[in-house]
Amino acid sequence: MRAGLSTIQQTLTPEAASVLNHSIAEASRRNHGQTTPLHVAATLLASPSGFLRQACIKSHPNSSHPLQCRALELCFSVALERLPTAQSANSGGSPALDPPISNALMAALKRAQAHQRRGCPEQQQQPLLAVKVELEQLIISILDDPSVSRVMREASFSSPAVKATIEQSLNSTSSNSANTAGPIGLGFRPVIAPASTVAAPSANRNLYLNPRLQQGAASQQRSEEVKRVIDIMMRSKKVNPVLVGDSEPELIVKEILRKIESKEIDGVLRNVEVVHVEKDFTLDKTQMVAKIKELSTKVGAMIGNLDCGGVILDLGDLKWLVENHQAIGLAGGVKQQQQTVLEAGRAAVVEMGKLLGRFGEGSARVWLIGTATCETYLRCQVYHPSMESDWDLQAVPIAARAPSPGMFSRLGSNGILGCSVESLSPLKGFATTTAQPRQTSENFDPSRKTGCCPQCMQNYKQDLAKLLAAKEFEQSSSELTRPALPQWLQNAKAHDSDVKTVDQTQTKDQEVIWTQKTQDLQKKWNDTCLQLHPNFHQPSIGSERFAPAALSMMSYNSSLLGRQPFQPKLPLCKNIGETLQLNPHLVASQPMERTSSPPGSPVKTDLVLGRPKTIEITPDRTDKERLQDFLGRIPSEPQNKLQDLQSNKLLNTSAESFKKLVKGLVEKVWWQRDAASAVATTVTQCKSGNGKWRGSCSKGDIWLLFSGPDRVGKKKMASALSDQVCGAHPFVICLGSRRDNGESDVSFRGKTVVDKIAEVVRRNPFSVVVLEDIDEADMLVRGSIKRAMERGRLADSHGREISLGNVIFILTANWMPSDLNFTSNGISLDEKKLASLASGGWQLRLSLCEKTAKRRASWLHEEDRATKPRKESGSLSFDLNEAADVEDDKAADGSHNSSDLTVDHEEHGLTNRLLSSSTSSSASHELLNTVDEVIVFKPADFGPIRRDISNLITKKSCNIIGNKVTIEIVDEALEKITSGVCIGRTGLEEWTEKALVPSLRQLKTQMPTSEESLVVRLELDSESCNRSHGDWLPSSVKVVC
Amino acid sequence: MGIVEEAHNVKVLGSGDRVTVLAHGFGTDQSVWKHLVPHLVDDFRVVLFDNMGAGTTNPDYFDFNRYATLEGYAFDLLAILEELRVESCIFVGHSVSAMIGAIACISRPDLFSKIIMMSASPRYLNDVDYYGGFEQEDLDQLFEAMGANYKSWCSGFAPLLVGGDMESVAVQEFSRTLFNMRPDIALSVAQTIFQSDMRQILSLVTVPCHILQSVKDLAVPVVVSEYLHQNLSSESIVEVMTSDGHLPQLSSPDIVIPVLLKHIRYDISTV
Repeated sequence: MRAGLSTIQQTLTPEAASVLNHSIAEASRRNHGQTTPLHVAATLLASPSGFLRQACIKSHPNSSHPLQCRALELCFSVALERLPTAQSANSGGSPALDPPISNALMAALKRAQAHQRRGCPEQQQQPLLAVKVELEQLIISILDDPSVSRVMREASFSSPAVKATIEQSLNSTSSNSANTAGPIGLGFRPVIAPASTVAAPSANRNLYLNPRLQQGAASQQRSEEVKRVIDIMMRSKKVNPVLVGDSEPELIVKEILRKIESKEIDGVLRNVEVVHVEKDFTLDKTQMVAKIKELSTKVGAMIGNLDCGGVILDLGDLKWLVENHQAIGLAGGVKQQQQTVLEAGRAAVVEMGKLLGRFGEGSARVWLIGTATCETYLRCQVYHPSMESDWDLQAVPIAARAPSPGMFSRLGSNGILGCSVESLSPLKGFATTTAQPRQTSENFDPSRKTGCCPQCMQNYKQDLAKLLAAKEFEQSSSELTRPALPQWLQNAKAHDSDVKTVDQTQTKDQEVIWTQKTQDLQKKWNDTCLQLHPNFHQPSIGSERFAPAALSMMSYNSSLLGRQPFQPKLPLCKNIGETLQLNPHLVASQPMERTSSPPGSPVKTDLVLGRPKTIEITPDRTDKERLQDFLGRIPSEPQNKLQDLQSNKLLNTSAESFKKLVKGLVEKVWWQRDAASAVATTVTQCKSGNGKWRGSCSKGDIWLLFSGPDRVGKKKMASALSDQVCGAHPFVICLGSRRDNGESDVSFRGKTVVDKIAEVVRRNPFSVVVLEDIDEADMLVRGSIKRAMERGRLADSHGREISLGNVIFILTANWMPSDLNFTSNGISLDEKKLASLASGGWQLRLSLCEKTAKRRASWLHEEDRATKPRKESGSLSFDLNEAADVEDDKAADGSHNSSDLTVDHEEHGLTNRLLSSSTSSSASHELLNTVDEVIVFKPADFGPIRRDISNLITKKSCNIIGNKVTIEIVDEALEKITSGVCIGRTGLEEWTEKALVPSLRQLKTQMPTSEESLVVRLELDSESCNRSHGDWLPSSVKVVC
Repeated sequence: MGIVEEAHNVKVLGSGDRVTVLAHGFGTDQSVWKHLVPHLVDDFRVVLFDNMGAGTTNPDYFDFNRYATLEGYAFDLLAILEELRVESCIFVGHSVSAMIGAIACISRPDLFSKIIMMSASPRYLNDVDYYGGFEQEDLDQLFEAMGANYKSWCSGFAPLLVGGDMESVAVQEFSRTLFNMRPDIALSVAQTIFQSDMRQILSLVTVPCHILQSVKDLAVPVVVSEYLHQNLSSESIVEVMTSDGHLPQLSSPDIVIPVLLKHIRYDISTV
């Protein structure tokens, strides 16, 4: 059994495992023979901020009072008390083994695991060990346990309702695309309990709906409960129902009595009289016994009547037995009063018992029916322990109405506005807890890891997209039968378990086929890639990958790491893309390689982040870095793990990885060296948990503010960072008035900015999101962003909150700290201008020509630029920075950005502007304080950048061709290269190596040997323009001799 | 018919590309728009509904908690718009409904192309630097009178609010709809409205607002419309009409309907 336990624990996430451990400890403390689901439930409930507790509170339709949970706890502790204790083993006094896991709990754990595996959509069956059961799944399967359900019912909680709440919160944070694509998400499970019957008619329920309007739906539930109660009354033992619950049980009693009185029910209840006795008892407690005696006579008389089949005594709310209304407000004598009430109650119980005994036999029977809140019933049990048996009572828990509509059900009294935004999201408590593990698990999805080079990856993705489209079509057509729903409801519907049960099997099959298809596709492309691009799969550049799961697995047997010898098998797998199809064997073997490989040997952790669509693998990213990235994301540093399970402390930033990051950034944005190193510092710091706000709570989200006028630099930096950290493009959302980039996604139309952000974050929990022009954003957006920064969660306009996951947010703004000295006398980078320069499918060529005497003095000179005709001469002017031309036209601050002589003037104007903008919006200041780091981008000059580029090209050509032949770069060409480098994603080095160097080499081979007077000319090639659209730089340079 | 439409007696009349939603204020129901609707049906799809608590709605649906703040009504409005799949609408809100529209449009700015506020007030109580027209004692008396004898309160309140004598058709009409409300609900609604303070949210409104106001209105002093104009963060325009009373669309349709039509048809820049 012990061995079993450790295996089980390996299938759980740390939180879930720790819950299990606590439960076992609890069982052991209570000296119980086994650890049962009840122990687990009690443990889950015990932590005051616990997930289950919150779900319980939320699921309760009428009251969100914490006291409700108190009752639940009581019920659980009572249930635990009743469990049998271990008889023999522990009597010896020796600290015996922990109580073994009961069959029921084992079943629950297995269920959890099964659900966990099924819960990951769009993927093949995973190897058993790679799936970790998350806490939520554990809770859900514990709630499914009959014993737990029963106890919850006793406390008037409905476990299906609680479950639904949890699933809702799970789904709301889990990847959206997955859930809308196919209803195979977490809500995908038949729900047996009454809650599902309620959910059915509400399939297209309106999020804003008045809950009262759903009373119709509740009636169905009610009729079921009526039936249950009547069944109880018809049986021979425990025939007297007491309806326990807080959701208007008296309505059900009323309904039953109405049915009985109108003779709708056949059988023993056909000719039964109803006597309402509650009123008699509530008024005067002292008279109760006498009243009951009176009643007894009355009942005797009624039964004496031949027609009468029996009498039902409607006791009403049983609180008259335990409460005293008159006592309210009387400070003195309350105790006294209470005492008399109790005594009277006790007498009443006895007397009523007598009454029942008297009429218990015979053809005509006497029934009792009553209602009680959970609290009242518990009190009755405490104060009148014999009542239940004497009165032959059967408690009937009345399930709380299902909460599924209730996303907003209690909102009436809360608010949409201002500070009450918090209350808008009923899931607030859950968001953080759920999101983290979900996102991690998304990385475990092996189908997203494809061992292809970028090119093949692209093809694979295209095919996948086609497949996906086909699938969606299929689904949408199958959904036509259902009423169309607004988009935002689709989600909610996806949870609607009832609808799902109908076509569960069908979709399951579809899902299997789908996974099969994707797998095949992936395999196909992997194979193709292997054939076409063997280089990519060479160990030198190819990346050998192991899934993150492997690493977290390690945490449980890290002791093995040191010992195990290097596995000779590995190189076999290494080159094959299929390595990704993780199997347990690899899980065990690959980490070995990691530790035993000599320093510098290429071990790569390719963490594929975000959606496959955005993945681009950069083969030249270093292993360390990748590993770093990966470790930065998954809070399980192997070495620490055993000592500190809870700790979210991430891997310490090694100086090396930091340097790599800096290098990567500087390569792309070399003119903003300081900024690059600041970015790298902050990112590494934040990832290792040392960020500004990371003191107590560790959040995955990082907020950087790129301030300064160098738009191009900021953009490029964001893109470089994204590339370094996630290997993907950043997501750019514009908050300001600028709408120049054509990235407006159709699906974003008509959405608020915050919704856009939420959407992006939801879909890509590991990504870099650029929020452009935060300074131009309206107050509302800024407010939401600020709140998001503070709380790690973002509320969209529907009030749904999503966790920010591990997104790196980059805010860009034009503000500059006013004390910054400008050292600019050149031309600023104008994005538009650069774009217009870089676009147009231009090509370059290298040609040899005679050295002319009239060589241009310098290509850096600006004069010819001025002579060129330009449409947008205003923006071309020598303004210090772009900020000046954004909105300043209106500002009329006297600055006209006209010439480089106005530096001082300019600066002054800018400062003014800064001052005014900062005073006008205190939010901006707050933003400055809330972000993890403000990174200042100096105003950038075009000149030095161009000089750098030309220097580099000259150097390259010198290296290759030699010093004798000089290279001349034609101005237009240089300008275009510069623009291409600035705007595009390719780094300068990268481009020169890829495109220019081969051509230079080629040129060298073709060059006549001893020609001193030759000049290599790099110029625009006007003849060919067949460059693929989207690239800013030509991929090769033509050589003309 | 959906559950929401049924509960709110939603009626959709007319045809046109654009949707106009007409929302009534306290003590009335959708019939308050009877003079306006005929002018709209040719060019607009007109959505009429009753706020929960109005005499024409089922009192069982009135959740005292939900409607303890104006947000409850705003949710209802959004629910209706969602139910009807309205993507964008011109919202005409009278009295409290103007504020309800403002709340709703903060939550879902995408659903509202503009808001026309008639006799709207963000706060009825006077405050430091704010003149809302009522002192707390006035309101206490009002609530007390409502609680004591609803019928007689109605007959006193109606002519005051409408600004005419007891015999006038408008007053009769308003008395009818006012008295239709269940007294306890009416009291709760009145308390919610008169104690509301929506000044804070004005700065969050991003939808253009047209503020229409009677020159003489017992419930809303004319300065309030200026206050709205000053404090709404979105574009806004004020037009003070020569009409009298809080329900000018009922009491002086000849003045008000043309103004309303103008503001519904044209945007701020072209009005």
